[in-house]
Amino acid sequence: MTRFVHIAAAALMISTAAHAEPDVTQTSLALTFDVGADTGRIMVALFDSAEAYAGRGAPVAQSMVDVAAGQRGAAFSDLKPGTYAAKIFHDVDGDGQMDTNPFGMPTEPYAFTNNARGNMGPAGWDRANVTVTGAVVQTISLK
Amino acid sequence: MTPSRRHFLLGAAALSAAVATPEMVRAAIAQDVAADWSLAAADLETDIAPRAMRLIHGRAPVGLQGTLFRNGPGKFRRPGGSVTHWFDGDGLMRSFDIRDGHATLSARFADTPKRRHEAALDAVVTPGFGTPGDARARVGSNDDANAANTAVMVAGDKIWALWEGGSPLEMDAGTLATERFVTLRADLRGMPFQAHPRRAPDGTIWNVGSHGDRVVVWHLDAAGGLIDARVLDLPRASYFHDFAATDRHLIFVLQPWVFERTGMPFSSQFAWKPEMGTQVVMVDKADLGRMRVFDLPAFSFFHLGDGWAEADGTIRFDLAAGKDVTFAVDGAKVIVQGRGPMPGEPSHLALITLRPDGRAEMTATDVTAEFPKGDPRRAGLKRDLTVHVAGEGGGRPLPTGLAVRDWSTGRSHGFDFGETHVVEEMVFVPKSGATAERDAWLVGPSINLKTGVTELHAFDVAGIEDGPIATWAADVALPAGFHGVWKG
Repeated sequence: MTRFVHIAAAALMISTAAHAEPDVTQTSLALTFDVGADTGRIMVALFDSAEAYAGRGAPVAQSMVDVAAGQRGAAFSDLKPGTYAAKIFHDVDGDGQMDTNPFGMPTEPYAFTNNARGNMGPAGWDRANVTVTGAVVQTISLK
Repeated sequence: MTPSRRHFLLGAAALSAAVATPEMVRAAIAQDVAADWSLAAADLETDIAPRAMRLIHGRAPVGLQGTLFRNGPGKFRRPGGSVTHWFDGDGLMRSFDIRDGHATLSARFADTPKRRHEAALDAVVTPGFGTPGDARARVGSNDDANAANTAVMVAGDKIWALWEGGSPLEMDAGTLATERFVTLRADLRGMPFQAHPRRAPDGTIWNVGSHGDRVVVWHLDAAGGLIDARVLDLPRASYFHDFAATDRHLIFVLQPWVFERTGMPFSSQFAWKPEMGTQVVMVDKADLGRMRVFDLPAFSFFHLGDGWAEADGTIRFDLAAGKDVTFAVDGAKVIVQGRGPMPGEPSHLALITLRPDGRAEMTATDVTAEFPKGDPRRAGLKRDLTVHVAGEGGGRPLPTGLAVRDWSTGRSHGFDFGETHVVEEMVFVPKSGATAERDAWLVGPSINLKTGVTELHAFDVAGIEDGPIATWAADVALPAGFHGVWKG
């Protein structure tokens, strides 16, 4: 497994326990997903520091979006004002894994807040972080 | 660490800009004015809407009806940073449509994530084959760096713009509008699909995607649907741009330009090690696990012809063989610079023979050659003729003519436009209802450096030395393309 894939997959292998309600409050981040497939689920992990985002800490919140059941959004409310970044992946076949092709590249869509792309790898905190002071809304492409 | 194409995505992209040496500065002063041939890598700023070409010579051949699709880089420079290597410009798909004696030209840039991102920044920032890129690159997958600029394949009623490190990019054959990256099967998304697919006598299409010492072998139907895909291990992690095939075999030529380090640009990952020699790997199409390896002295290459097997099992294929990788590393940069001396030597036409007893030999000719092509009716089958561009090696880079080699007589016939033309790859178009190899036209463009426009030529294979039988002129010069395909 390549370093690229390892980081991307490990970073996105997030628990499916939490499920945020789409309840937008004063300080909140609401993500709407533009998907290429109507199956499976989307996993979202939200981080509140560059340190945690880089894998040296836990996410501050997580969400699982049931795409197959028609859900397309995740909302994180009651956040402390600050900067946040999310790692997102669409588990299209719902097998709980980020699938890769025989050469180790991801075959299921993944994304980051700001629709940030990395430079030869996952997007870093510098590109993905969002300042959340009020109600922030983003549409994230997962195609 | 497995040396592989994946390092395309792993290398440190932000490399420092090239440092100018006193020699480079002196050379630049000495040749301050861009050479005439720099039109070959000039920037095209916009798409070319369909426009008539003017017949300026000869007569349109009766029966020559169809479209020559050609791909190649069309935009290199932006204010905030530029491509530094010929292979990294934005893909420009061209259509030369010939109907009832009239020729129509149109051209459209491939609408790739790379081009969108760089247009927004007004800077070339994405790493490529020979362009380092910089920290502003946005590369989350191979296809984010896909220039879709190398070749074109007909897939049913669509065309696919091909690169070599990512997916085919599907386009509408009529409007040249970009539609989507092609995923041949969900679990194979993003696997490399190289620029030289080969049609087999049974009508199916074989192609490869290289990844270090592993290769994916694609087998498609004529419409571009997947029949099968398998991953094979090769004996070395060599850079190769093309492969050959007979009706029963795939042939991989593993030059001693081998993976050595990670980093960008992609070409910087390879080291030229002539002491390793060149290996030729023959794989059985019916049983991809069956592999035979032949050894030859070192040579370099980009392009091979189709192969064929003879009755006793001997296999032959033609190629444009080089001495080393000077062109790939340095020469292709000179073409974008548009000035200065061309380093290295042009490649020469050669024929490789693989004997049933395991011996291999290469017969070199003294004819300079690139883009070897054969009769598509004989792809994978015995043939006598190879057509190719020729004439490189004079005072400037890029071909000035074309030639046909008859392997049965050892004779070559050619036509040279002289230094006032940059001649591009010509495709072989069989005459309808005819079967002999010589019953065909060659169709392809040149850039007329004197008039500053692109021309389209048709030659008769039986009389190449007589020059074009028809020439149409555009009212615009397109930069030189790489590879084309004829759709009758």
